[in-house]
Amino acid sequence: MDVMKQHVTKIDVTRAARGWLAGPHRWKIIGSAAAALAVVVVWGLVQAGWLLAATGLAGVTGMAVACSVGLAAIRGLLAGSTGIAGVARTVIDEAVRMRAALVLLVLLVLLIPTLPLVLDHDERLEYRVQFLLAWALGGTGLILSLLTIFLACGSICGDIESSRIHATLAKPLHRWEYLVGKWLGIVLFNLLMVALAGAGTATFVGVLARTRATDQADRDAVDHQVLTARAAVAPAHDRPDEYEAAIAAAIRRLEEDDPDGFASNPAAARGRIRYEYSWTWQTITPDMVSTYVFGGLAGAKDAPTVQLQLKPRVNNVDIDLADVRFALWLNGRPWPMANGVHEEQTLPSLATSVLDLPSEFIDDTGTLKVTFANRNLVPAGETRPTAITLPPGDGLRLLYRTGGFEANLLRCLVVMWCKLALVAAAGVAAAAMLDFPTAVLLSLVIYFGALGSGFLRDALGTYNVVAESFLAAVLERLRAALEFALQFRFYDAGRMLLGFVTDVTLRVLPAFSDYDAVGSLSTGLEVPTRAVFACFATIGLAYPLLLGLVGWLVFDRRDLVRPNT
Amino acid sequence: MNAAEGIDIKCVGVTKTFRDFWMRPRVRAVEGVDLEVRRGQIYGLLGPNGSGKSTTIKMLLGLLAPTSGRIAVLGRRPRDVASKRHLGYLPEESYLYRFLSARETLDYYGRLFRLPRAVRAERTDRLLEMVGLEAVEHRPVGEFSKGMQRRVGLAQALINDPQLLILDEPTSGMDPVAARQIKDLIADLGRRGKTVLLCTHQLSDVEDLCDRVAIMFGGRVRAEGTCDDLLVQEALTTIQTDALPEGVVAEIRDVLARHGIDHCDVDRPRRRMESLFLEIVERARTEGLQTSGARSGGRVADFLRGEGGGVVTVAAASSAAASAASADDDDAVTAPPAEVDAGLIDSLTRRS
Repeated sequence: MDVMKQHVTKIDVTRAARGWLAGPHRWKIIGSAAAALAVVVVWGLVQAGWLLAATGLAGVTGMAVACSVGLAAIRGLLAGSTGIAGVARTVIDEAVRMRAALVLLVLLVLLIPTLPLVLDHDERLEYRVQFLLAWALGGTGLILSLLTIFLACGSICGDIESSRIHATLAKPLHRWEYLVGKWLGIVLFNLLMVALAGAGTATFVGVLARTRATDQADRDAVDHQVLTARAAVAPAHDRPDEYEAAIAAAIRRLEEDDPDGFASNPAAARGRIRYEYSWTWQTITPDMVSTYVFGGLAGAKDAPTVQLQLKPRVNNVDIDLADVRFALWLNGRPWPMANGVHEEQTLPSLATSVLDLPSEFIDDTGTLKVTFANRNLVPAGETRPTAITLPPGDGLRLLYRTGGFEANLLRCLVVMWCKLALVAAAGVAAAAMLDFPTAVLLSLVIYFGALGSGFLRDALGTYNVVAESFLAAVLERLRAALEFALQFRFYDAGRMLLGFVTDVTLRVLPAFSDYDAVGSLSTGLEVPTRAVFACFATIGLAYPLLLGLVGWLVFDRRDLVRPNT
Repeated sequence: MNAAEGIDIKCVGVTKTFRDFWMRPRVRAVEGVDLEVRRGQIYGLLGPNGSGKSTTIKMLLGLLAPTSGRIAVLGRRPRDVASKRHLGYLPEESYLYRFLSARETLDYYGRLFRLPRAVRAERTDRLLEMVGLEAVEHRPVGEFSKGMQRRVGLAQALINDPQLLILDEPTSGMDPVAARQIKDLIADLGRRGKTVLLCTHQLSDVEDLCDRVAIMFGGRVRAEGTCDDLLVQEALTTIQTDALPEGVVAEIRDVLARHGIDHCDVDRPRRRMESLFLEIVERARTEGLQTSGARSGGRVADFLRGEGGGVVTVAAASSAAASAASADDDDAVTAPPAEVDAGLIDSLTRRS
């Protein structure tokens, strides 16, 4: 009797198991079993002392579980009985079950946890943490952008080419609702992916940052220059009126000395003189003491120190560049003092160095004047020491802590998400107008254009024409093209016209480099909340709206049937 | 009676010319088509491949814009979303999301009609049962046979209990049992006062079901009228009786000859293959033989038969999800067909 009962129970269990595996929850069951198995393996790895492998496996498992939970949450969010929610939810399902998407998703889940494993452990911890931050988030941005383009174009073009859209648009659904639903689904999917990438990055950066640093300076750099959020203040001239007057006088002199040359391109001439003056101003000659003013530091007085970041270079290439020697005064007081003696600073040339300045030197108006005196040694065969240049841009700036790494990471992720929203809108708009291959191509052009527009814009501005404004540059290009054409130099005229078209296109395209959140995060710079809002308003809303509008205008008038169907 | 009342589809002088990338005319798929389908009619649209049937249907659904001419569907323009609330459409191929299961597919289309969740679930259950797919409701549609996909396609066309049902080749790819059920369903819907536009190559289906028929060729309507108008051969008479012995037949021939009628064909009528097939399947089923794939469909869903549908269904659903179903959602289920644009129909009628 017992044997029979046991047999019946066994059959029941087998039948129930088969029923579960054939039912709608089979993937949940399989996933849960896989997660449980992974936990056991991680425990075993920890017991065996293979902590790195355990960390990697735990990371992959954690991200996969978080992905499942997040997907369920988004599906719940889209549970409403509206057409937009219905379309959006289907896009989420498509994203998960589309093979190309799946491959990219697996890449993403594998990329972040495994990056720490490939880093060189002899490298300074500071650089390793920076590398992990930059590559994990940069790689995530690239992978998700490609995923977004293929998903948007694949979903809409697939609907049209397979005629699935006929059944959908025969329902009470406006065409704009269909497009918005597609965009919303992709944007929500991206939100999950970005959140996952952020959580994974934060976890693995945290683990990596707790490993052994090369030395105390390395540890300090990780804690105070990378895993932090710092505001950067650029130097201002201590006598701005004199400085501006000198520039104006130089421009007048040039106008008098070379009136024809100046008249041919006044904007370029002014720009060149201003650029030369900024270099001259940030060059400390042996016979000159230079003072740089950093304002708006009232908020920095709460912390014990502020950071003076320098990337000095010396102009005499014949001497050993290892040392750049100078003395500092802070608001007129010598610093640092040791036993009553004003100590000189010695820094490597062409390397970024940071000096921690006591914030007590900042005056009540939140201003800190930093005075440099050149103390380089006199090279052999010379009579004077070599000048020191602090290149405009990142050669000299003052940094102070404004917040923590985690909040900065969050702001960085929001910026990433906004950029992906734009990429999604580009994909949706392109797919609303074109067939799959051309839609993908157009989306990629828009994406890479946005990615490189800042660089290309600067490059074109620097190497082709120099102008103070975009309008001046455009007019200059047109003028030059006309002049070349009149001289029968058609190749040059064509080159100028191409530059004109490229310049206008790049100006119209959004520039992702205007919001380089990953770059800021990995160098410990604050991603300002103001910039996040600006990014959200422009990259995340205005441009998608504009692209969506263009896509809808075409889509709404488009015949969604081919002649042969 | 207002001209707008009782007309669910009206086309006047509808022409569709497809153009190439350079906007040059390439194909004139439909030319000067006039159609009028009244409420409650089962209307057959016939024609060989490439005759313009599907293009006409796509224009009725607002998927294509006519090059010239005017169209009204349920008293509104084809692109008007309000009229689509009461329209069901089965495409000529089952264009479904391969990664969704049958249940998810019906849920998706139910959402597009803004049906409350409880109503969607209820109707999905009934429709899956009706088309015989409840046992495989969680399998991705991509794994289904063509016939099973057609069943899902039919179910999605009915999820909103439409006033106007446009069916493009509804029995294509289906076995005779399922095809018979669909014909029964169409007949049921017709009896309930629903309007059905049936586009098919199955001429027997048209004969069995349709009140009126239009036959298209080369993008034009070549003939239009009731089946009787089009099919009755006034010059012939058929008398059907029980089987007659040869002698009686000879006497009948004599009688006819006396009246000057020389032509008389005597034949034994044959059963239709469809009825034989159905009889064999029914016999096998009663013997308890098993089959994989789709089961034979069940009875027509209650809400399509006017039993337990409409207000009653919503009331039942509301008790399950009282707080979830909003007033708007209720409208989506119970609202009468959208108010017609009388001006549009009048203008079309005057033109015609």
